[in-house]
Amino acid sequence: MMFRRKLLTVFALTVFVSVAAVAGLVLAVTRPAFESMEDQRTAALVSQFQRAFKEQGAEIARRVENIANSEAAIRMTTALNANPGDTAGYFELAQSFAESHQLDFLEFVNDRGVIISSAQWPAKFGYPDNAFETLSAASGQDAFLKNEDLQDASALGLFAVRAVGIGDHPIYVIGGRRLDKTFLSTPDLPAGMRVLLYQNQAEHFSPELLLDAGAGKTSDSTRPAEKFESLIDAVRQYRQEMAAVVRWSPDQADDEIFHAIPLMGAGKNPALLAILLIGNSRRPYVELKRSIRNSALLVGGAGIVLAILLSSWAAARVTRPVEQLAAAARDVAAGNWNTVVDVPGNDEIAELANSFNRMTTELLTQKERLVQAERVAAWRELARRLAHELKNPLFPLQLTVENLLRARMQSPEQFEEVFRESSRTLLAEISNLKTIIGRFSDFSKMPHPQLQAVEVNEILRGVAQLFQAQFHADGREAITCNLELEENLAPIAADAELLHRAISNLVLNAMDAMPNGGTLTLRSRGHDGKTIMEISDTGSGLTPEECDRIFTPYYTSKQHGTGLGLAIVQSVVSDHGGTINVRSQPGKGTTFIIELRSGREALANSAAMTSENA
Amino acid sequence: MTRYVWRWLAVSSIWLMAAASAETRPHYGGVLRVMTHTVLASLDPHDDSGLDSFHQCSVMMLMYDTLVTTDASGRIQPSLASSWQSQNGNRRWQFRLRHGIKFDDDTPLTAEGAAASLRFGNSDWSVSADGDSVVIEVKDGDPELPAELALPRNAIAKRNGDGRPYGTGPFRAMEWNPGKKLTFAANDNYWAGRPFLDGVEIEMGKSFRDQLTALDLGQADLVEIAPEQLHRASLEKHHVVSSRLVELVALLFAREATSVEEKNLRAALSLSIDRGSIRSVLLQGEGQATASILPNWLSGYGFAFPADFDLARARAELEQARSAMHAIPSRTIQYDASDPLARVLAERVTLNAKDAGFSLQPTVSASADLRIVRIPLVSADPWIDLTYTALLMGSPLPRTSGSVEEMYAAEQTLLQTQQLIPLLQLPVSYGSSGNLNGLEIRLDGTVSLASAWLEGRKP
Amino acid sequence: MDGAVYNSAIPGTIKSVVGKAAVSHARSTVLVLLAFLLVPLFADAADWSAQEQELSKKIVKVTGTDGAVALTFENRSSLGRRDSEIVENGLRSTLANLGLRFTTGDAAAVATTVKITLSENLTSYVWVAEIRTSAGEDSVVIESAPRPESAVHESVPVSLRSTVLWTQPEPILDVAVLEESAASTRLAVLGAETVSIYRLQNGKSQLEQAMRIEHNRPWPLDLRGRLMVRPDRSLDVYLPGVFCAESPSMPSAPSCHDSDDPWPLLPSLLSAGSSPRAFFAATRNYFTGVLTPALGKLASVPGFYSAAFFSREQHVVWIFVGTDGRVYWIDEHNINKQNFDGQNQETKNLDWGSDLTSVKTSCGAGWQVLATSASAESGDSIRAYEFPDDEAVAVSAAMDFPGPVTALWTEAGGETAIAVVRDQQTGSYDALRLALACGQ
Repeated sequence: MMFRRKLLTVFALTVFVSVAAVAGLVLAVTRPAFESMEDQRTAALVSQFQRAFKEQGAEIARRVENIANSEAAIRMTTALNANPGDTAGYFELAQSFAESHQLDFLEFVNDRGVIISSAQWPAKFGYPDNAFETLSAASGQDAFLKNEDLQDASALGLFAVRAVGIGDHPIYVIGGRRLDKTFLSTPDLPAGMRVLLYQNQAEHFSPELLLDAGAGKTSDSTRPAEKFESLIDAVRQYRQEMAAVVRWSPDQADDEIFHAIPLMGAGKNPALLAILLIGNSRRPYVELKRSIRNSALLVGGAGIVLAILLSSWAAARVTRPVEQLAAAARDVAAGNWNTVVDVPGNDEIAELANSFNRMTTELLTQKERLVQAERVAAWRELARRLAHELKNPLFPLQLTVENLLRARMQSPEQFEEVFRESSRTLLAEISNLKTIIGRFSDFSKMPHPQLQAVEVNEILRGVAQLFQAQFHADGREAITCNLELEENLAPIAADAELLHRAISNLVLNAMDAMPNGGTLTLRSRGHDGKTIMEISDTGSGLTPEECDRIFTPYYTSKQHGTGLGLAIVQSVVSDHGGTINVRSQPGKGTTFIIELRSGREALANSAAMTSENA
Repeated sequence: MTRYVWRWLAVSSIWLMAAASAETRPHYGGVLRVMTHTVLASLDPHDDSGLDSFHQCSVMMLMYDTLVTTDASGRIQPSLASSWQSQNGNRRWQFRLRHGIKFDDDTPLTAEGAAASLRFGNSDWSVSADGDSVVIEVKDGDPELPAELALPRNAIAKRNGDGRPYGTGPFRAMEWNPGKKLTFAANDNYWAGRPFLDGVEIEMGKSFRDQLTALDLGQADLVEIAPEQLHRASLEKHHVVSSRLVELVALLFAREATSVEEKNLRAALSLSIDRGSIRSVLLQGEGQATASILPNWLSGYGFAFPADFDLARARAELEQARSAMHAIPSRTIQYDASDPLARVLAERVTLNAKDAGFSLQPTVSASADLRIVRIPLVSADPWIDLTYTALLMGSPLPRTSGSVEEMYAAEQTLLQTQQLIPLLQLPVSYGSSGNLNGLEIRLDGTVSLASAWLEGRKP
Repeated sequence: MDGAVYNSAIPGTIKSVVGKAAVSHARSTVLVLLAFLLVPLFADAADWSAQEQELSKKIVKVTGTDGAVALTFENRSSLGRRDSEIVENGLRSTLANLGLRFTTGDAAAVATTVKITLSENLTSYVWVAEIRTSAGEDSVVIESAPRPESAVHESVPVSLRSTVLWTQPEPILDVAVLEESAASTRLAVLGAETVSIYRLQNGKSQLEQAMRIEHNRPWPLDLRGRLMVRPDRSLDVYLPGVFCAESPSMPSAPSCHDSDDPWPLLPSLLSAGSSPRAFFAATRNYFTGVLTPALGKLASVPGFYSAAFFSREQHVVWIFVGTDGRVYWIDEHNINKQNFDGQNQETKNLDWGSDLTSVKTSCGAGWQVLATSASAESGDSIRAYEFPDDEAVAVSAAMDFPGPVTALWTEAGGETAIAVVRDQQTGSYDALRLALACGQ
């Protein structure tokens, strides 16, 4: 599992890092591209505006020219040449011309600079036009910017002047259009761009002087006009084109880059009349940036999910054989030698699996071979034992029979004597043979335990009781038997008879190990859900090699043992699901330790086993 | 052959001439279409909220009659009253009513009815009926009482409680779409004879320009012509009739001049205004520059108030004011936004005042220091006009009458308050279609359609 | 003065003015009399003495009798010249009786000035005395007198009479009567190419002389010309771009030469030799508007067709009919009072045609302007006007003609005018003498 996680992490990291790298790269490449595009857009707009300005100027000049060439203007000029004072009749002329020619400003001014008729300020007839010097000089030239004084304010306009040059006293036609919202909105602005006009009419910056072509209000709470103050002040100071980013809100997308272009008036010392502010919203750029980032995040996220999916699939593909191998190894470790790992393909893992399979197969073969060898060895041992066991009584038999044969030559009494003696011996040895054969037969016919709830201490006391007499039997040194029993042990599931026989065998063994007397100790205790019985003697003890082989059937360290006693004990203990161990030091005695499962579980199991076996 | 053609031509040209001037007798029938700039607020003559407009007075006099009327010479003539006499030093006036006059609702005009009508708006009179006479008693002798009774606001109207006043005039209101249209039909039983016209349709709230256009297009027979358009209208060969100078355009200060420096200031303002230019340019030579309240034709002494344009004197006056006031505060001058002349006038006065060094600020807001007012002549009686103007100025004259010299003194007193600076006297002008005849403009500038008739329309 | 002013009976003062002068108009006529209206005579003399006394007392109350006063009069009312003179004289004598001394000329500049204006309103004559004392104080005193019942403006105080002097099928530019007696009349008729002198005797005409007019340029379409009779009875002929003078040495051969000499606007008799002349456009039918000598500071007016003038007590008023159809009103009194940008030329919107001229008579205010009408009808008409209170008031009925008036000039005597009418029915040209008869 760790392997798969690591694999996933590596995959995801790789995807994320590569997506992030790509996004960063894209951003890095986009920014200058976008900025140059924005610059181009602004430059295009500026030039579009200048073109529009020029066109407007030409249009105004054309209209003013038309007015100057109109019959009414010529008639007026003629009449005023004849009688310069009689201007009353033309009072409304400028207004009607301004209306018909769609001009915001129109004035007829005589060659002394006196206004004959004014559309924008009708009441001003008869008053001198303050800017007449400049205006008359501009006659016939291109349109120019001028601040026009009105009744209660002044307004910025694009003006043209034409003279009606009839007679000695020309009449100047001064017409113009107001630079207002309509004027500003004349060129079609691309989306995201806007144009503002700051009328430079006050000494200090004033938000009221800012005109926005688009919005009704130039200054709302979200876009206070004061934000322009520094830019406008800078342009006012240096009188050159400048640009600045205006931040409206913490959101970068609201930012606008403003190019401020000073608009100068006509004349020798042109005044700064207004500042044209061309704003380019940074929203597209910021949004593009954001969308790149978002796509990067999305792609990264999706990549990671995909990576997880893919890598888990891939990892699964990669790790499944490994896991199978691991499981198989565990199975093998658990003893299931038949485990086969099925990994298709022909990659390294498959090869590993095949090797594993070969290994297990090999192990199995080896094991079978070992078993066969052991079986052969066991058979040999058995045969040797059998031969040995049978040879022992056979040899006296042979001697007795040979004695008989020889005794037949002797006297019948002697013979009789010998015969009787020999018959006894023969019978004894045959009985001995029978016993040997009975033992082998018993071992082979070892019954399956019939489990019941058994009190271990009862069995131990029973055995001690049974052998009490023998411990103190004549002809041998007395053996002290100690019972160290833990009370209140839970009953275990066991076959009381078999257990009794096994412990009796052990007690017998212990007695055999203490020909010179000693102490036999029977212990019982509970430990970790198990019931432990110990049978200790203080006999000669066993060497480690003896300890290793002691449970092998037909092995005996005794002169007259069949070697089956401990084998039967192990068989009984094993049949009870328990274990038997030996602990011994030569000269210091030997302790057999039997561990049996105790408690209800053991009982249930034993019941199941019993029923199963039944 | 040639001879025959010539003869035929001669005959036909004579015939054409005859056709052009054949209709010398009035023609009955036709509906006169009138357009006006002002909007009538009420059809009640006693509702004096708008009776200072010529148009409204004209309309009232279509529907209602007064006891007496003023003729073209300014003399009082009988109308609903056939005769009258005064007693007790002009304190008791008795007007004998004509017989057989009926209101629009077919009820006869009685002395009680007339007296009841006259009691409206004349709380200081004691009006009673005495047989077939109406008796009016005033506390102080009032020789101008008949002239007062000739005012449209003293027209005799009858109220039936249905909220609608009934009159005895030559026309009856048939349909009234307030603010838009008013339709009259001839009163067949008019005591002075049924009018020639079958009806009159008045469309209100039309701009002067629209009116002229409508006249050109034949959509109207009678329109108002603003004084400033009079010149053009006559150049364009419209049929134009003008009254005498019946309207005073003046600057009216909100408050009386109390201090000497304020008087200096106002004198400076008056002297700085170039009325001549205003008249010749703004009004294209129409009307008259004036410094008097009453037009000369009415007072006989109007020229004695010189309308001087003297910048040097204006500056001197202003200098005096400045020495007392340290700084001359700027004043606001209000004009009626719906009156194009007033606007230009305000701007011109502002420019003129600036030349003298006095700062004015034109505005349309009502709370201004001074405003441009148009004061119409309400009566052919100069005393009544003077009283009316004094009332407008808020410095009422005692109701009086007397010699011309006393009138001069009264007018001079009014002008010396320097609350009013007269600028121009204007006529009221009407343009009519070529087939309208018999149009009469009364001395007070109102139009009488009682004897008007339309040519060439089928009755 | 008591009670209702408007009810008083007023003597018909206007009418009395007419009678005395009426006879002088009865000049001998040779040809067909087209119209003649008998003038009933009224001789009710008005008694102004009470008002004169009152006004004088009021004046003296202001001026005192210590110093001399400069007294001026102006009549703005409908009072006729004679009546106004009666009032003026009455006031002078009453003031003198009250001890006032009068001064004139330069002394007037420093003395107390009294300007008496005879004005009127609807019901009264209003006499206004504007007094400026030597200390510079202004005061106004007023006296009024009831006006007659009948409105003056509605009546026709003078009547227009015309006599045909000459008729011919060719266009007549002007006619001048050279000699006139009960027996015979000698007449100069200016045609397009000739000046013909006729003698009319016993109802017969006889061509005495026909003088050809030499000119190098073709005449303008609407040709106009003027005959001026010198005191020595020789003729000056003014035509567009051409001037002919009848040489006393060779009376039968006028010497014509190309000339843009200005034409006299009115006979010198009328304006006592100070009549300005005006330049006539050589190829057009109008005066260029340039005047010589200038009217005060006014050296030129807009181009005009015709001019008239009349004199008031203090000053002269000129009236021009501009080529733009407007009537220009130039009050000499105001010329020097320069308003803004010289806008001292007022224009009047009058229903007048292109031709007008003025005559000096003993009727009405003493001066009348004869003007053609602007009506577009086939016929034309001429009417006499006066200008009380600067307003044009028709004082005669319109005299209708069977065709357009092609010329209208004041005669050398100044009291009558010559009108040339093209009869649309006959196509011939009639030269008429127009005279005013005072009274109805």
